Amino acid sequence: MLNNVKYVWKKYRFLLHQLVSRDFKVKYKRSVLGVLWSLLYPVLTMAVMALVFTNVFKFTTPGVNYLAYLMSGLVAFNYFSEASNLSMSSVVANFSLINKVYMPKYIFPVSKCVFVGINFLLSQIPLYIILLATGTGITWHHVLLPFVYLCLFMFTLGFSMILATVAVFLRDMFYIYGVIISLWTYMTPIMYDIAIIDNPGLMMIFKFNPLYWFLYFIRRIMLYHTVPEINVWLYCLIFGLGFLVLGLFIFKKNQDKFIYYV
Amino acid sequence: MDNRENMIEVDHVSMRFNLGIEKGFSLKQWFVDIFSGKKKPPQKEFWALTDVDFTVRKGEVVGFLGSNGAGKSTLLKIVAGVLKSTKGEVRAFGNICPMIELGAGFDPQLTARENIYLNGAIMGYSKELIDSKFQEIVDFSELHDFLEVPVQNFSSGMVARLAFSVATIVEPEILIVDEILSVGDIAFQAKSMDKMLSMIGGGTTVLFVSHSVEQIKKMCDTVVWLDHGKIVKIGGKEVCDEYTNKMLNLN
Repeated sequence: MLNNVKYVWKKYRFLLHQLVSRDFKVKYKRSVLGVLWSLLYPVLTMAVMALVFTNVFKFTTPGVNYLAYLMSGLVAFNYFSEASNLSMSSVVANFSLINKVYMPKYIFPVSKCVFVGINFLLSQIPLYIILLATGTGITWHHVLLPFVYLCLFMFTLGFSMILATVAVFLRDMFYIYGVIISLWTYMTPIMYDIAIIDNPGLMMIFKFNPLYWFLYFIRRIMLYHTVPEINVWLYCLIFGLGFLVLGLFIFKKNQDKFIYYV
Repeated sequence: MDNRENMIEVDHVSMRFNLGIEKGFSLKQWFVDIFSGKKKPPQKEFWALTDVDFTVRKGEVVGFLGSNGAGKSTLLKIVAGVLKSTKGEVRAFGNICPMIELGAGFDPQLTARENIYLNGAIMGYSKELIDSKFQEIVDFSELHDFLEVPVQNFSSGMVARLAFSVATIVEPEILIVDEILSVGDIAFQAKSMDKMLSMIGGGTTVLFVSHSVEQIKKMCDTVVWLDHGKIVKIGGKEVCDEYTNKMLNLN
C-alpha cells in the first residue's frame, strides 16, 4: 500500500507539477497585471464587502477591527469555495485525456486544490498587510496556523473528491452547488460576528459547519492572540482527516465507472 | 514453437456497454414511472467484445483488422488500462506507450514548448527525460520556428507532427498505435513510418490498428481479424487477403 503510494507519487509528481503550472499560465495569460491579481483580487472583494456591511448594515465586531475580521475569514473561505468549485468540474473537463491515456484520476482534484492553495498562500500577503495596517499585530501564536491550514486543505480535498464524483454522474450538481455555496457563505460567520445569532437552533447548525471551526481557529490566533481551546484543535483535525478519508473512499469506489458517464 | 516470453495476455476478455446510460436519469421520467407504477425497463446492453483471447509475445507486431465498430479501439483501450473489462483480464508485462489519439493532452492556449512538457508528463515521462530529448523532439517535428506559438494557432497537421514527436521519444516495451500513421503531409508520413519501423526493429512489441490493409501487411507478423467483438481469425499475413476478399465480396 505505502509502496504503491510512493510509486504513484514518483511517477506522477511531474504531471501534477505540469497541471498546476498549466493552470497558472492559462489563468494569467494575456492579463496585464498577471499574478498580481492573486494579491489584488482578495483585497478588492474585501473592500466591496467592507463598504457594504459597515455602511449599509452597520456590522461591527466588538473588540477587534472589522477589516481584519472580514479578511481573515474571507481568505480561508475563498480557498474552500474556489478549490471545491474547480475540482468539481476537473474530472469532467479532462474527459478527453481520461479516455485515451491511463493516469490516476485523483490527480485532477488534487491539482486544482494545490493550484488554488498556492493562490491562498499568495493571498496571505494582503492579509498580513491588513493585519499590520489595522494595528491588529502579529504574535508568536501565528506559528500554530499551519495546523489549521493543513486541516482546511484535507477537508477541501476530501469534499472536492466527493463533489467531483457526484458531478460525473449528475451534471445538475454544477448548478446545485452554486446555490449551496452561496447558502454556505451566509451560514459561515465571515462578514458578521457569531454573537449576533441568538437562536439556539441556528447555533447548533453552525457547530456542524467545519468551516466555522477552521475560521474560529484562525481568528483566535490572528485577532485574539490566544491558543485555541483543545476541543477546537480536535474538531479541525476530525473534520479534515474525516472528509479526506471519506472523499478518497468514495472517489476510489467510483472511479472505474467515470469513463462511461463523461 | 516460438518460446519468446509473453508480453501481453488477453484472457477471455468481454466488454459490455450500457447504451441506455446516455439518458441516465430524468426527473420527468421518474415521476411518470412512479405514477404509472412501471418498473424500470431493462437497460439496453451492447457487447463490444465477447470472449477475446490471445497472447502476444515479445517483439511481435500484431495488426488488428475489422470494420468500424468491430471493437478494435475498445480492445486497445482495455490493454492500455483506460477501460476495465467486464469479464476476463488483460495482463501486460512492460511499460505501455499508448498512441491512441495524438494530441489529446495538448492545451490549446499553451505554446508548443509548454505543451511538449505537459504532454510528456501525461505520458508518464520525467522532467529529466524530456529535457534531454527536447532537441530531438523539436528536430523530428521540424517546428523550430513555432516553439513559442500557442498550439491553438497550429494547423491540424502541425499538431499531429508535434504529438507524434513527443509520443515516440522513448522506446517503450509495448506500443499501442491506433490509426495515427496517416498524419501530416506525405514527407512526414514517410518519416513517421520509418520511425515506427525502427522501433519495431528495436524489439518493441506493437499493437496496431489501421484501416489500411497494405500497412498492416507490410508491418505485422500476426493479424487479428475482429468482427462484432469476436475474433474471426488469427494468423499470418494471409488473413489480410481473406479479409480483403470478404469485404469486397460483400459490396
